Amino acid sequence: MSNRDRRLREEIESHLRMAIRDRMERGESAAEAEANARREFGNLGLVEEVTRDMWCWTWLEQFWRDLRYGLRGMRRNPGFTTVAVIALALGIGANSAIFTAVDAILLRPLGYRDPERLVVILNHGRGPVAPANFVDWKAQSRSFDNMGAAEYWTPDFTGSDRPEKLWALRVSADILPLLGVPPTLGRFFTRDEDQPGREFEVVLGYGLWQRQFGGDTNVLGHRIQLDNHTYTVVGVMPPGFQFAPFWATRAELWAPLALGSRASKRNGNSLRVFARLKPDITLEQAREEFSAITARLERQYPGTNRDQRIVPLKEKVVGEIRPALVTLLCAVGFVLLIACANVAHMLLARAAARTHEVAVRAALGAGRARLVRQFLAESLIIAMLAGAVGLLLAWWGVRAMVRFGPAGIPRLETLSLDWRVAAVTLAVSVATGILFGLAPALHASGLNSAESLKEGGRSSNGPARQQVRGLLVISEFALSLMLLIGAGLMVRSFIALQAIDPGFRPDHLLTMQISVGGSQQAAPRRAQAFYQSALERVRGIPGITAAGMTNHLPIAGDLWGVPFWIDGRPVPHLGEEPEGAFRLALPGYLETMKIPIVRGRSIEAGDTATAPGVVVINEYMAERYWPGESAVGKRITLDNPSSSRPPVWLMVVGVTKNAVQIDWAARPEEELFLPYLQHTERMGHYITLVARAKGDPAAMAPAVESAIWQIDRNVTISEVQTMQAVVEGANAEARFNMALLAVFAAVATVLSAVGIGGVMSYAAQRRRREMGIRLALGARPAEILHLITSEGMVLALSGTAIGIAGASVLTRLMAKLLYGVPPVDPVTFIAVPLLLSAVALAACLVPAFRAAHTSPLAALRQE
Amino acid sequence: MVSKPSIYHNRIELLQGTLDLLILQTLQWGPRHGYGISQAIRTGSGDVLRADTGSLYPALHRLERAKWIAAEWKKSENQQRVKVYRLTAAGKKQLLTERSRWEQLVIAIGGILGHEQS
Repeated sequence: MSNRDRRLREEIESHLRMAIRDRMERGESAAEAEANARREFGNLGLVEEVTRDMWCWTWLEQFWRDLRYGLRGMRRNPGFTTVAVIALALGIGANSAIFTAVDAILLRPLGYRDPERLVVILNHGRGPVAPANFVDWKAQSRSFDNMGAAEYWTPDFTGSDRPEKLWALRVSADILPLLGVPPTLGRFFTRDEDQPGREFEVVLGYGLWQRQFGGDTNVLGHRIQLDNHTYTVVGVMPPGFQFAPFWATRAELWAPLALGSRASKRNGNSLRVFARLKPDITLEQAREEFSAITARLERQYPGTNRDQRIVPLKEKVVGEIRPALVTLLCAVGFVLLIACANVAHMLLARAAARTHEVAVRAALGAGRARLVRQFLAESLIIAMLAGAVGLLLAWWGVRAMVRFGPAGIPRLETLSLDWRVAAVTLAVSVATGILFGLAPALHASGLNSAESLKEGGRSSNGPARQQVRGLLVISEFALSLMLLIGAGLMVRSFIALQAIDPGFRPDHLLTMQISVGGSQQAAPRRAQAFYQSALERVRGIPGITAAGMTNHLPIAGDLWGVPFWIDGRPVPHLGEEPEGAFRLALPGYLETMKIPIVRGRSIEAGDTATAPGVVVINEYMAERYWPGESAVGKRITLDNPSSSRPPVWLMVVGVTKNAVQIDWAARPEEELFLPYLQHTERMGHYITLVARAKGDPAAMAPAVESAIWQIDRNVTISEVQTMQAVVEGANAEARFNMALLAVFAAVATVLSAVGIGGVMSYAAQRRRREMGIRLALGARPAEILHLITSEGMVLALSGTAIGIAGASVLTRLMAKLLYGVPPVDPVTFIAVPLLLSAVALAACLVPAFRAAHTSPLAALRQE
Repeated sequence: MVSKPSIYHNRIELLQGTLDLLILQTLQWGPRHGYGISQAIRTGSGDVLRADTGSLYPALHRLERAKWIAAEWKKSENQQRVKVYRLTAAGKKQLLTERSRWEQLVIAIGGILGHEQS
């Protein structure tokens, strides 16, 4: 009892006392006076209540009372409460987790000033561009406030107690200012410092600063060793700063690009160009101007400016992931809808069961509004509980996503459940509570109490209500079917992805990158000897059966292209010459990878710098350029024959089976394997080792590392991983999407089954008497079984039919996520409805069996 | 068993809205508790008007909330706690407004009734 209530009671009691005293003074006996005073006063409780209503917080107090009443009701019915809370919590939890991801990845802008105006210019909208192009575009365009270029760089950081290979970018001086994020410490480098000879200055990322310098604020002016050159630290970026956002995302050090003489090079595409649109320029205007510029340059330098595209930075960052996120968002929306529908018809069933109680309370004077409030309070409690549990699930789900999510999803690592998501969850749960609380509440309170009392709460199931529940079941099944089909398609395409033959054997392979940039082995000739002796030592480790080296690993590594010319064929126009991926390989690489040679021979120890130039190509290249004849024995060159220097001819000595290049699902294209010893100048200062182990390859890593460090402790070793992990990484996104969709579809199916089971068992219960009569009159149990089951199956099958129609439209939206499966895949579209129908049948059979095996006597005696 | 005063037929139901006026008017002569106010209205009207407790207490609390009257707990002569209401400055102003409204109403209704008669 609140303070205010106590005071009111006291006030009223004093009123009564005074009235009694007055009456007694007038001569009434004590008993008479009290009885008369009370009669005159009227209904004490009512007076209290209407008086209390004068104070605004009575509404809250009443609501609190309703809540307590609801809680009591829920304790009486723990099964119902648990199922309802779990159903909703699953929906809400999944929704919040996926919303967190969508929010962080799609909605939250990049961490730059005015990120909507940032664009990136790429070759075909994908690849890097040539330095001369960047210089020309920057000079000629008027649409941009600023334009800068960035180039990937992986220097070896030495001279500290922890040498490491860094991910870094060489950037033109304009880029960092263009992003609009000031350094927390120091400054950016200037345009003057963006020149060859003066470029030895760096800006550190926050993480690197903390890791290597302990966050020391005196780091400015500090000299550091990168690839055996001395650089001066001039600035430190704030925590959370990331550049570039879509490629080289791990970069944590920025140094001047200092193009110098490279500025006039029209080949050697290595730059990604970033620019900021002028405030009054639209993307379309910029594109228009840009295409005029590139058309002019293309006429001037043919083959250099075809299909250069401006892409909004955000589009570049999130474009790839958007279809997956939108699909998942749809899926969780469906799950929540199904959960709501489930809880709604559970509440409807309960409202029906409580008709009698409601009628009694209405007869005792509870107002309609009061009854509505009570029902609402109860469903709100369920919704809030579900919201809390759901939030817990969401928190756990987000952690799971960060942990198990595929690499390469932009900003996935920054995911954390925040207050906005909590707010959305709360809003969703309250809205859900009102949504599914209101309908049963209005319905229950609108009953004619006299009728309900007479009927003893038995029937009260008008055809309208049955219809509502039927519709709920139908929509649940329609939604579940769509989800299941989506999940089915993902499973099918994942199976198709798994079935791809990569052209090499990824099992038992250990890979690592060895970098000599910071060691005494950096000079090309020394590097060559170092690699060879390292290879020998690794081969000598017990448990290693084979080892080889290449510049870039398939899938995980970079992919470098090179143009080539075929002996005896006309020289194509500039820019139209055929291109192929090239890999430099030390002898043993193809054998270690188990990339089979289909014709000719592999790269051998004899293919040294002094031996005749050779090349091994893949089947695709052999068939494309030498169809119907053997490519072995033919000659190609990597030097333009029309230039003044005589080309170095390479003889095709072998043809390999096609192997996956960089994209797991892409069809392999031209690929050339060149003996490293004949092309040492094409190798950077790092190399990739692959070693095949007898047993677990990961367990061999320490032995391999120490064998290499025995030669030189100053080389850095990074990216130590098994090839199996690389392959799994390539399919991680598909696996992730499939797993999430499958979980959602499973939840949806269980919810729908519970839903239809509940509806049917309620219907069976309600008609128990009728069934008893039927059985007593000689109906066979099988007939009863059929009666109940067919009723349920009509609903389930209608839902399934609607779901098939919906799915055939919706799955087109996820076409981008599928591999090797059409959006309307007949197998999925037949198997999934069958599966769902089987589940529905099973869910209907349980209550039907119970109904068919009731004892007629018991059923009739029930009331 | 009880001698019921047969004044029921003489009673007039209070007009909607007039209870506030009567309470404010009663309190003009000094603080009173709820029972006192009901007695004052009853005797003041010659037993014709009675403030039903079901209307009186809600009205008192409503007026208190509107700050036209203020309440205080005091000890009565036989040492019992009673809640005593008094008129506030705002209440005095409100009383004037309500009085002039009432007078207007009386004149208006009187006018209509006068026409009827003539």
